[in-house]
Amino acid sequence: MISFGLEEDQQIIQETVRKFAGEELRPKMRELERSGVPDALRRRFDETGLGLEEVDLPTAVLVHEELAFGDPGAAVALSAPYDGARAIAILADDSQKDRLANGTVAVCWSERKAPLEGFSTVARRVGGGWALTGRKAFVVGGGHVDRHLVFAQLEGAEGWDGIGAFVVDKGSPGLKAGEKHALLGLEAVGAYEVHLEGCVVEDVNRLTGTGEFHERVERLFARTMLVNAARQVGLARAAYEFALQYTQERKAFGKPVAHFQSIAFTLADMAMDVEAARWMVWRAATQLDKGSWASTVAAAAHANEAAWRVADNGVQLLGGAGYVRDYPVEKWLRDTKALALFAPPSEIAELALAGVELGQPVSTGLPSSAIQPFFT
Amino acid sequence: MIDFELTPQQARVKEMIHQFARHVVRPISLQADREHRIPDEFLLKLSNMRAMMSAGEVPDEYGGEGGGAGEAKDNKGSSQKNRFALIGGEEMAWGDISVLMSLPGPGLGGPPVQFTGTAEQKERFFGVFKQPGLHWGAYGLTEPGAGSDVAGIRTSCKKDGKHWILNGRKCFITNGGRADWVVIFATMDPAMGRAGHRAFVVERGTPGFSCGKIEDKMGIRASETAELVLEDCRVPEENLLGGEAHYERGKEGFMAAMKTFDSSRPMVGVLGLGIARAAYEYARDFVKENYMLARALPRYTQLAQTLAGDKRLLDAARLMCWRAAWMADEGLPNAKEASMAKAYAARAAMKICSDAVQIMGAHGLEQHQFVEKWYRDIKVFDIFEGTGQIQRIVISKRILRDPPNF
Repeated sequence: MISFGLEEDQQIIQETVRKFAGEELRPKMRELERSGVPDALRRRFDETGLGLEEVDLPTAVLVHEELAFGDPGAAVALSAPYDGARAIAILADDSQKDRLANGTVAVCWSERKAPLEGFSTVARRVGGGWALTGRKAFVVGGGHVDRHLVFAQLEGAEGWDGIGAFVVDKGSPGLKAGEKHALLGLEAVGAYEVHLEGCVVEDVNRLTGTGEFHERVERLFARTMLVNAARQVGLARAAYEFALQYTQERKAFGKPVAHFQSIAFTLADMAMDVEAARWMVWRAATQLDKGSWASTVAAAAHANEAAWRVADNGVQLLGGAGYVRDYPVEKWLRDTKALALFAPPSEIAELALAGVELGQPVSTGLPSSAIQPFFT
Repeated sequence: MIDFELTPQQARVKEMIHQFARHVVRPISLQADREHRIPDEFLLKLSNMRAMMSAGEVPDEYGGEGGGAGEAKDNKGSSQKNRFALIGGEEMAWGDISVLMSLPGPGLGGPPVQFTGTAEQKERFFGVFKQPGLHWGAYGLTEPGAGSDVAGIRTSCKKDGKHWILNGRKCFITNGGRADWVVIFATMDPAMGRAGHRAFVVERGTPGFSCGKIEDKMGIRASETAELVLEDCRVPEENLLGGEAHYERGKEGFMAAMKTFDSSRPMVGVLGLGIARAAYEYARDFVKENYMLARALPRYTQLAQTLAGDKRLLDAARLMCWRAAWMADEGLPNAKEASMAKAYAARAAMKICSDAVQIMGAHGLEQHQFVEKWYRDIKVFDIFEGTGQIQRIVISKRILRDPPNF
């Protein structure tokens, strides 16, 4: 049954996050951009229970749209550690889940110099465990969290069997935070390089889970893509609503500029872009909940494009004011480009799906960050 | 609850209409386009199948097929009429848009009669469709001098005893020449603005009412687009839609004209998407059969990406239309969303049809390849039922007036 109606509990959650984002994030967006998310804010977010709370995906996308509406940088910074714990939960077996899927977690996936398949970070057998050596990059919270989920190449093994996922606890010898990345946008997040120098991980901390490992990795990243697409919708809505208000206050030639059709029509296009992207995300959420992630890729691709257009229009409609940091819109234009790289890039995933549609599935092979590495 | 699955019943009806569109409608599509007409025998056959294809244009209390499947209620008791109509409409348009537009029935004339007609009028005008043979209704709003600017219509109406005298010209009226009756919008006095508007049901054969030229168009060529002439046309007073009392509140005539659009615009949106989907699928299959055999996909990433982008644009636009239809079913005011659906879908559909021609290369221009026809057909979707610009006026007026509502 086609329906766009929210349940009452969804409306309540949406209102709660909207209030939090409106009071705690939007007014502090510049401060957060300069100095990152302070512990006090993180605690207040924890008190809302919005992080690890188990909600279905259609509800989760509502939450992430609202957080990003407040501030996209804070939205990522606040939920990334929980998403890391969620990643462990997806990959772990039952005995590992309770022990490891908690606290703040950074996912170490991408590398600056990756091979065409797999990872350059190597896991070598030592006694009852593994020694990890390599350099990970683009890691949200890398080196500053309770645990790291590190993907590495198992020495002497090939294919998916050769991909290992390891949980490295804080303070493990050989684990070091590298340089902080200075970024175009989303500076509130704090992304780092992570260096592993013979860092030893016990066998019990290697996540092998049950069932097909690569399917679970796909599931993990599908969720990331979906949540990120929801953030793009929130960001786009923020830019749209700001421009909507500004153009009604700013006067030129004797009337509010919003009353000129070139401006009014642009606003209409922005409104359409926001809505279409949101419905794509909602549809993807209902389908991913049922295990199908094709529409998630479509939603991510669509939301990335739409949010960029809306953010660009936002800057354009404010003119010079849009370009200076006294106004928030320039930040959203930087943030939207950054956000598109805070999940597996939709371009490659979409191409793989197009191959299926054309009856020529392209083997996506093993994971690799050699092309279009992304932040995790 | 957020949900985008069709009910089993909707899925069945969709599949049934799709098979019909594929095996019955599509085969006559190119010929109908070339000959600028759809054979009467074909339309008669279709009208016998109306019940399953319509979502209740003729209300069942007046002898129509009612909502049929569309009358099914959701779990909160809301009708699904609009959603159902969209699902069926997309499939029919996938087959051929001109066939769909030529289907016998009240057409766009239905909603104003339904919304504002008196019981007697509904009985009389919908009753026409109970008669054997081919019968159409039509909607006469646009004039040579006023289309989008509905308030600017100049067709005049003047009371004379028990009749109204209408003078003026209407143009671009779908099925206007063959309609049994046309809802004609006229003004008592342009100075009165919207309050001076009156809507009449003018029946074929009314003295002073005639059909002018039939338009020769870029696309939708098998659909009849007529000019209508009213010269001292004497319309009996009982054909004033809604009766005198209805207009005492001021703007009723204008509102009747506008209300039609709240449900028709999302429908027009998905009809465009039906054509765009046909074009997308055609181009996709062409690539599969003609290009892929020669070289594998990695050589064609640009084509694959274009197709993937078009596929999701199609989905996004469809969701916009569904949203507006869902609001209509829920009884929520949806003028803004209806305009968004239509504006977004039209632009999306044009891009997709253009891409389809481009992807096929020179083949795309050949008349037997369908896509050149769809390329011509689709352009009108950004024009009729309010141009893309008019939709943006409607949308921007509302977003500037109302607080953001999400």
